[in-house]
Amino acid sequence: MSEENRRAREAQLQVVQLDPGIDFHFRPVRAAPANYTSEHDSVLADISIVDACKNAQAEGYDAVCIDTMSDSGLAAARSLLDIPVIAPGRASMLAALMLGERFSILIMWDRWRHLYRKTIAELDLGARCASIRSIGVAPDNQALLAGKEDKVFPLLLEAARACVEQDGAEVILLGSTTMHQAHGYLAERLAVPVINPGPLTYKLAEAALALGLKHSRKAFPKPLAPRVDLIDAMFKDLRP
Amino acid sequence: MPKILVIVPFALDEAGVARRKNQLKAVKLDPQSEFHFRPVKAGPTSFMSPHDWTLMDLAIFEAGAEAQAEGFDAVCIDTMSDSGMAALRSVLDIPVVSPGRASMLFALTLGSKFSVLAQWPPAIVRYKKAIAEYGLAQHCASVRSFDIPPDFDALLEGKQESAFPRMLEVCMRCVEEDGADVICLGSTTMHQAAAWLAERLPVPLINPGPLTYKLVESLLALKLAHSRACYPRPQAPKLPMLHAMLDAAAALSPAMRPSVVAVSKPPPEK
Repeated sequence: MSEENRRAREAQLQVVQLDPGIDFHFRPVRAAPANYTSEHDSVLADISIVDACKNAQAEGYDAVCIDTMSDSGLAAARSLLDIPVIAPGRASMLAALMLGERFSILIMWDRWRHLYRKTIAELDLGARCASIRSIGVAPDNQALLAGKEDKVFPLLLEAARACVEQDGAEVILLGSTTMHQAHGYLAERLAVPVINPGPLTYKLAEAALALGLKHSRKAFPKPLAPRVDLIDAMFKDLRP
Repeated sequence: MPKILVIVPFALDEAGVARRKNQLKAVKLDPQSEFHFRPVKAGPTSFMSPHDWTLMDLAIFEAGAEAQAEGFDAVCIDTMSDSGMAALRSVLDIPVVSPGRASMLFALTLGSKFSVLAQWPPAIVRYKKAIAEYGLAQHCASVRSFDIPPDFDALLEGKQESAFPRMLEVCMRCVEEDGADVICLGSTTMHQAAAWLAERLPVPLINPGPLTYKLVESLLALKLAHSRACYPRPQAPKLPMLHAMLDAAAALSPAMRPSVVAVSKPPPEK
């Protein structure tokens, strides 16, 4: 990922008031699938994210946020690390239920549906999901929505309104952290709360640290024989 | 600087409110945030029957109904029962956070099954009802009580030696026999035991009051509040009537003193 594209991710920090005593460092993975549209991609996404954060604790980090609604790598990273590891997929659905009874997920294209279906099934929240609506525009996980505001933002607004008015959504989730640039536009125009998943994870990381909480070791047991060396070897000399 | 109203669900005197306020010390908070603790004017003295639940809904609703007009930026409700939350959300635009549902949902960000530690057997029925209503039954490993009657004023003060080890033993049964990944303290009145238990448990323990303080800070920072689609405004608000009702109730019964809570005191130890 280019420095410019990495900064487009980092811009998520600007929309939320954060503890000035906390430093956020944005690190791209060393290699990745081109996008997250099939199980092939999901497996690669998992391993690439685990690789990127596997030594976070030893490197002196106090917590890890994963910048994808797919929660890729979350479970494996938690099994390795004793510091809080937060990802927005599960967390934004659970946070939505703190604000209303039913949520809809607004997505760029239908190729993402499998990501949410998996989490919704795991959490058994099918009855709480009013809908998943797509605007049918291929996403760009590098430049995000830059340059496409005029075309994409009104489509997102129209789809979000349909979630509220036709499907009964009481809270809207942005289906991807790559949609963050549209959050302010949508939040101003919609009558229901809109969850911006990336910034939510930053606040949840702060909360976990302040409360002295992290994931349960019972739910995420440590490996008997960790092979962090093996994961490292896979990426070390890779030239994607 | 954000001003946050914390509603204490019993009509406690100053010392009782101070014991609730100690929950602030368990968590690192934004130094800019100001938390104001306010007890309800009148309400139930026990919390185990639908009579009590209804009175508490009303009492908490009344205590916070004007919070926005009073200049508060958010409201926390200091009870796992979430009493009064829905009614307050219907009349307020500022975030209203209560720890019952929130701690169960938060638990699911840390593990896949939670257990709730209840004070005594009569408290269990309400958790079961709430968990079903929240649609979380499949994620609840168990609700177990440590079987010591509650004292909503003195809390667990003076009972460390008798109560804490029993609480720990019951939490361990939740983990080992029921498969809990996370323990939710069933009441904000158990906060004095939270650190002691957390140190000794192999799984995360959620201290519900402090969780609400961080959630409120998060919601304010993210500019989020409850959905109006879920909590519609009343067509004809009757807040003056509500206040008159609670003022009349307060005139009838003074702030809770130890003699008044005697009904919920534990039997003398043998």
